[in-house]
Amino acid sequence: MASTQLLKSRIRSVKSTRQITKAMQLVAASKMRRAQEATKASAPYTQAARELLAGLSTRTSVLHHPLFEQRDVKNRLMIVIASDKGLAGAYNSNIGKVYVNELRADDKAGIKNKTITIGRKASQLAARLKDTEVIGAYEELPDQPDGSELRAILDSARSRFEAGEVDAVDVIYTDFISSINQEAKVLRVLPAGFEDSPQPIAAGDVTYEPGTAEVLDGVAYRLVGAQIFQALLDARASEHSMRMIAMKNASDNASDLIDDLTLEMNKARQSAITQELAEISGGVEALSE
Amino acid sequence: MHLQLITLTGVRVDEDIYEITAPTAAGPISVFPGHEPLVSVAIPGALAVRYKKGDPDTALEYFAISGGVIEVNQTTVRVLVDEADHGDDIIEAESQAALERAMKLKAEAKNQVDIDHAKQLIDRHTVRLQVAGLRRHKRL
Repeated sequence: MASTQLLKSRIRSVKSTRQITKAMQLVAASKMRRAQEATKASAPYTQAARELLAGLSTRTSVLHHPLFEQRDVKNRLMIVIASDKGLAGAYNSNIGKVYVNELRADDKAGIKNKTITIGRKASQLAARLKDTEVIGAYEELPDQPDGSELRAILDSARSRFEAGEVDAVDVIYTDFISSINQEAKVLRVLPAGFEDSPQPIAAGDVTYEPGTAEVLDGVAYRLVGAQIFQALLDARASEHSMRMIAMKNASDNASDLIDDLTLEMNKARQSAITQELAEISGGVEALSE
Repeated sequence: MHLQLITLTGVRVDEDIYEITAPTAAGPISVFPGHEPLVSVAIPGALAVRYKKGDPDTALEYFAISGGVIEVNQTTVRVLVDEADHGDDIIEAESQAALERAMKLKAEAKNQVDIDHAKQLIDRHTVRLQVAGLRRHKRL
């Protein structure tokens, strides 16, 4: 049996680990709440952009816009969103699984692909893989993104799509369904979809300045940007919620471990006492003979 | 007339107003209640809002906006922009310093991505400075 001293120091170390995981759990919980609020706050923007698009579609053929052009997919661009830091449970490995599956499927179908990564874990993964070309890696995005961080990504995706360099742009991110349920999935952002737009409201005689084409361009661009932004916010909320749960499990495990170690330490102490008593009484016995 | 100023990070203004002046691709436009339905492309610049009829120019509220779309109909104005900063939140000295940093960044940029990034920053801070300047003028 291990000595009491040794057990004591192990208990101390597990206790300080528990303190850290507990703190991380609380931090992740508050970050998750904030990320959830941000997800809600960006919803009106997407809604307004969709309504504008619906209004435009009554005046001009939206589907002729370069961002809506459907082509056979021979080249595609994937934007992979993972976290900068680990200790978030299965968050990064789930994204990695989906990403690798997509790469394999592309390989079979003979589709070439390029990757833009967001988050250090994503760029580490992509750097190890040989069957994709990484054209951009973004790390350390701020905790509360305001959309300006994504403009470079958006512009590069858009110019590549318009130039025909890629025929589709997908975002691989973790969808935040609820605080206990998140799912890694693939979202196609380009060519832009038009299916889930609301019915156009009878707009009457609207003037478009400088012209429908320019307005359409502005709206379509913003809609795509908003989709990527929403995916980033969802991914953030998922990350924090998964980290929260992982840290909660770690704290619980630490507590169990402390209980076990304490029990063992008490046993060790008791047996040491018993042994000493036995030795003393043995000694007394020997002297009295 | 109801104004909604919507950005990616949330709805910034959701109030009844009298007049709004916005920078568009075809030049600045002012919109009053009863304006004909219009959708226009906004460019980065200063957005001015007059809340009540008869408010003096000193009561105008300014926002530094990035590019976006403006939708006007008889009763509502919807401004959809990536970013909007309230004039009161802009600290002129900070924006000036940020602008200088961005210019330095552009001068030192080695590739196209860095140059584009620096240009964006320059545009953004130029607009913010412009708004800060407007505010100062009106308050004098």
